Amino acid sequence: MEDHHHPLQKIAISGPTLASLIQRVSTSPGDVDGLLFGHVTQMTHSSLSDDTTAPSSSSTTDFPSNLIATITTFLCFNSTLSFYTPLGDLHPHHPQPHPHHPLLGWFSARRKTPLRPSMREFSVTNSLSSNITFPITDSRQPSANFAPSLFLLLTTPLHDHIIHTHEYRAYQFSPFSRRFDPKSIEVVNIGPGFRGHYGNFTPKAALPWMSCELRCPSAMNEDSKEGEGGENLLYLKQALKDQEVMDLSAEGFDVRNLSRLMGPEAASYTAGLEDFYEKMLAKIDSLARLVESSEAKILGQVDHNRQLRNIVSKPIGGDKNPACS
Amino acid sequence: MSNKEFPPFISAQLQYLFKHYRSPLKVEQAWSGSKYNPGILDRFTLLIPYCLDFIKWDIIYNSESPNAAPDVIFGPGDEDFHPFHAISGGGGGDFKSLKNSLSDWSNKDPTRLLILIQALRDQYLAYQKKCVGEVDDDRLKFEMSTMLSREGIEMYLSMGIDKPEEVKFAVPLLDMNINKMVFGCPWRQPQKIYLQVVYPVSRKYVSVPSAPRLKLVSTSELRTLFSVDDVKLPPWMDEMCMAEYLPHLEESLERQISEAVSLIDVRRRFIEALEPLFGRPLEADPFFCRKAAFLATSGVFTFLVYFYISTQFPKQQPALILQSTQHFHPQGTAIKSPLMKNYPWSPRWEASQMAERIFEYLVEESSNFKRYCNEPQPQH
Repeated sequence: MEDHHHPLQKIAISGPTLASLIQRVSTSPGDVDGLLFGHVTQMTHSSLSDDTTAPSSSSTTDFPSNLIATITTFLCFNSTLSFYTPLGDLHPHHPQPHPHHPLLGWFSARRKTPLRPSMREFSVTNSLSSNITFPITDSRQPSANFAPSLFLLLTTPLHDHIIHTHEYRAYQFSPFSRRFDPKSIEVVNIGPGFRGHYGNFTPKAALPWMSCELRCPSAMNEDSKEGEGGENLLYLKQALKDQEVMDLSAEGFDVRNLSRLMGPEAASYTAGLEDFYEKMLAKIDSLARLVESSEAKILGQVDHNRQLRNIVSKPIGGDKNPACS
Repeated sequence: MSNKEFPPFISAQLQYLFKHYRSPLKVEQAWSGSKYNPGILDRFTLLIPYCLDFIKWDIIYNSESPNAAPDVIFGPGDEDFHPFHAISGGGGGDFKSLKNSLSDWSNKDPTRLLILIQALRDQYLAYQKKCVGEVDDDRLKFEMSTMLSREGIEMYLSMGIDKPEEVKFAVPLLDMNINKMVFGCPWRQPQKIYLQVVYPVSRKYVSVPSAPRLKLVSTSELRTLFSVDDVKLPPWMDEMCMAEYLPHLEESLERQISEAVSLIDVRRRFIEALEPLFGRPLEADPFFCRKAAFLATSGVFTFLVYFYISTQFPKQQPALILQSTQHFHPQGTAIKSPLMKNYPWSPRWEASQMAERIFEYLVEESSNFKRYCNEPQPQH
């Protein structure tokens, strides 16, 4: 087996991401799990020191622990056993490696349980980290790959009288020692002080990315990334396609036409624009209604599912507990 | 809290587990992991007997998805115990049954939890064996090699700070079925005696390893017949090993147990000897003859006499308690005498003489007891 295990120095997560993860977990009716996305970067921090007596204590391995895993997004399934079997093996349609959303690992959230990885969590982490790899960004070694070995465990305290309501601990799984190494989580609250690495926390999810770029060159484009040849062409093609979709909705009203709002033809043009807005509003309204009715359908289905579950799990009167001492 | 209950599928599996597991289990606490139905208990701490102690495992069901197989969280010291990833010995029969028990889990099958727990505990024993085998201690390695052939031996490595501290063995003694020796035996579980041997892991600089700590432990019900606390363990000589020590101990234990069984008849004869004087007993323990109660009268004063007969009878005389049938405490409980253990006694007497002497003693004592009953009782 190729060595894809590189010990991390720490795990970084932005405050909002962690908060939304905890919110998601605490609003779910039961235990949930999900996947963690992000990227692994090699830190290029200066190790300059005025203490000449102590040379840098970086280990003898090629990878001194200056790797940081940054969690940018997560995907929360509304249940457990979502992408793995009760034995902890991955489902055949398990998450596939994807260059644009590197899978860092997974999380498990269970209420009122000890903050220790369970039997199944060990197996799942083991399967996940031995099946998938992805490249490390900014790596000194061009071929360095990272296996999704992160495991984030979220629990709530066993007793109600404890002052805090959530507990979490992050681990990196080491396939050789078959152990979970606890890692510190750095919660980065993005603000003026963090502008430098704001970009680290941009979500990398593979949602269909719709280019909202205007066709006329504007100041906005100047700092857009210069991609490599092939990728750029693909990107342009996609942008053109997206623009077509936009144009369809705009019904011929080009942004450039907005200039006609000034000057002599403004009076007639305003009427046309208002008409267009009205149509747009009507469209949005119908869209909202569509969403509303489908939401209602989903809610009905969820209610139905809950009823079905309750049939299975609700105690029926007269069923006594076994000795509980 | 009475409104908290296990859902029927968990409760059925738990009941089956309790009924069919080879030794008594306990649920230490149970609680709910559901946000909206906190009354449905779906996770609990199970105490499983292991090596004369308990291991505590948290069994995590999920009432939100009742069809899902439960998960297990092992104890804090067992983070290297991975039953599905045993480095050695994977693929054995136990291992297969463990995998199957989870992979085709069915919440409708009440036997599932039992199969899971049994298979996990077997794996745990193998894991502890491996841990103990890896301890760098020559004496332990030797003892392991000689003792492993004994059936049912269990071991446990307890860790100090970063290093192994001591190894506990639970050695089942005596290959005899004690249950069969007692006529009409009421015990449900087979009664066993174990020797607990605790070896301190030796420090490298100590030349002579210290003697292990030894203790006899029996299943709890055996105490009505035979108390292991009364057994004097043979001394442990320097340079001794278990293989030398055990045969002597087993021999003497075997003798003491057959003696204890024969003492049941001695007690029975004593109770029978009481009958001509006290009349038929109101109640008597028919299996071990450790207790008997008679109704006695002295004039119009009627009272009950309780006999508590120890396993050391006739060396130890029975303890007596008198209980009035006519005098009561303000709380409504009958007035009882203190425990009487100091009356004339000789273990060499015949059973009939023992009964006579007790009868004579009680004739005198009954008037004292009557006076005691008529005194104003101290308010509790």
